[in-house]
Amino acid sequence: MSIHPQETSPAVYAQATIPEAATLSAQWCGAVRLHYDKPDHKTRLYRSWHQAPLKVQRPFYPESEAICHTVLIHTAGGMVGGDRLTYDVSLEPGARAVVTTAAASKIYRTLTQATEQNVTLNIAEGACLEWLPQETILFNQAQFKQTLRVNLGHGASWLGWDIYRLGRTARGEQFLEGQWRSHSEVWQAGVPLWVDRQRLQGSPNTVNHPHALGGCPVIGTLVWVGQPVEKSLVEQLRSRWGGTGEMGVSRIQQGIVCRYRGSSTREVRAWFTQVWNDVRFYALGQTACLPRVWQV
Amino acid sequence: MNDEASYGASYGAGYGADCEITSTTTSAMQILRLLQLSSSTLPVGAYTYSEGLEYLVEAGSMNSATLLQDWLKQELTYGSIRVESGLVLRAYQTTLSQDGESLLGWNNWWSAARDTEEMRLQSWQMGRSLLQLFLTLEESVPTSHVPTSHVNKTWPPLETLLAQDCNFAIAFGIIAAAWKIEPAHALLGHLQSWATNLIAAGIKLIPLGQTAGQQMLLNLQPVLECAAQEILDLPNEALESCGWGLSLASMAHETQYSRLFRS
Repeated sequence: MSIHPQETSPAVYAQATIPEAATLSAQWCGAVRLHYDKPDHKTRLYRSWHQAPLKVQRPFYPESEAICHTVLIHTAGGMVGGDRLTYDVSLEPGARAVVTTAAASKIYRTLTQATEQNVTLNIAEGACLEWLPQETILFNQAQFKQTLRVNLGHGASWLGWDIYRLGRTARGEQFLEGQWRSHSEVWQAGVPLWVDRQRLQGSPNTVNHPHALGGCPVIGTLVWVGQPVEKSLVEQLRSRWGGTGEMGVSRIQQGIVCRYRGSSTREVRAWFTQVWNDVRFYALGQTACLPRVWQV
Repeated sequence: MNDEASYGASYGAGYGADCEITSTTTSAMQILRLLQLSSSTLPVGAYTYSEGLEYLVEAGSMNSATLLQDWLKQELTYGSIRVESGLVLRAYQTTLSQDGESLLGWNNWWSAARDTEEMRLQSWQMGRSLLQLFLTLEESVPTSHVPTSHVNKTWPPLETLLAQDCNFAIAFGIIAAAWKIEPAHALLGHLQSWATNLIAAGIKLIPLGQTAGQQMLLNLQPVLECAAQEILDLPNEALESCGWGLSLASMAHETQYSRLFRS
């Protein structure tokens, strides 16, 4: 980890090199770079770049010109060992964006190299990013590592979630082998605001033990970082729950974190969507506008 | 990530040379200090925390010595107590090398990495109590009993930690370094005092007999030893854990109707 983070400026980001697919034949090194700004009342996706198998749909504005919705597409069906996806998203001061994916991600079993996904989100002063990918399905024996780094400017906010299904449960498959790692960090002015270091080694003792997954194949985390919140918000978000799995809500130093453990991606998505709506209303006085792509 | 590389290198530099622990007389003093630092009578309020056990007992999913021992074993093998002990080690090392900036950086990092508000408040309350206790002791104890050390009230990082929130693991590591306890022993002490406290909570909550509690502590010895050994070698990148059950229990405890414990 970095104790003294370098603030990533747009200039540095523009010069960053992209790994060349040719150096890793038969493996995908997909990448997406999105750069939003807000010169007046409208948030523009003024710079968009992608490398297969990732693609970016044309941005749209279902709620207002101030908030740009963007859908990312993975065109190859799933990820195998050695695949590496890189997401770089930057928002200039005051910009607002909602980013989601067109479908669930699949991580296939691998016998050799891990599958990696690296996400860097730079959210400048007063900007707001809602990062809402659809769920990721890890096949048994998958080796997956995600790193996510958020750099928040003054007065900026970020809401993000991650939902995982461990094992293809429809086939009766459990995540008895393989590894899932997820390292997430949110920093502001050189100080970490939220750090989440997850590592699950697939084995009967982790997948079934109540201390770890307790036999539940689906886990989810939603986090919002922006400002300290009142205790009443915790109660409110808990009251939105009506599922059969387990959920929890707790305050972090500048926001809130929600966890889910259960067996239904539908159930966790329903709750997280409600939480997103409530948090948006709490922080910005606006309700959420659900991306249409989720309803397909 | 460049910082991580350079930081990791200095962190792995080897404790023996820094510690200069050789003579047997120092060794006796080390043991006594380790026992004092790890004692359940240390007045930091550890006995008021159950780390989610109170909720699990209430929910009916923790009702025997076997289940509690199994839970503690799981936490020691995969859980966040490993990361906390890793923070003890980093506080220890950065104190020895007088790297106040990294020490404060790790303190912030652990505040951000605590999974629930209750666990964070527990860490801060116990950390502040321990650091204040240490500084009071340093003033009152005859200098002949205190190893020569820069770790006192005038060291700027300690002033900062007292002015903001100091995590328990950080305070524990600072004191272990100041008292020249060997790092491996400091980790064993930290883990053993953690286990002792949760067993005491289990004895009250489940409830269990005192002998059953002592039996459990004895049974956990190989797990404690193994965890301490592994944590000693964990690189920064491997400060990670799995504890969905603990997180959910701790979050549920925050809104539990009737509570004896503060976590």
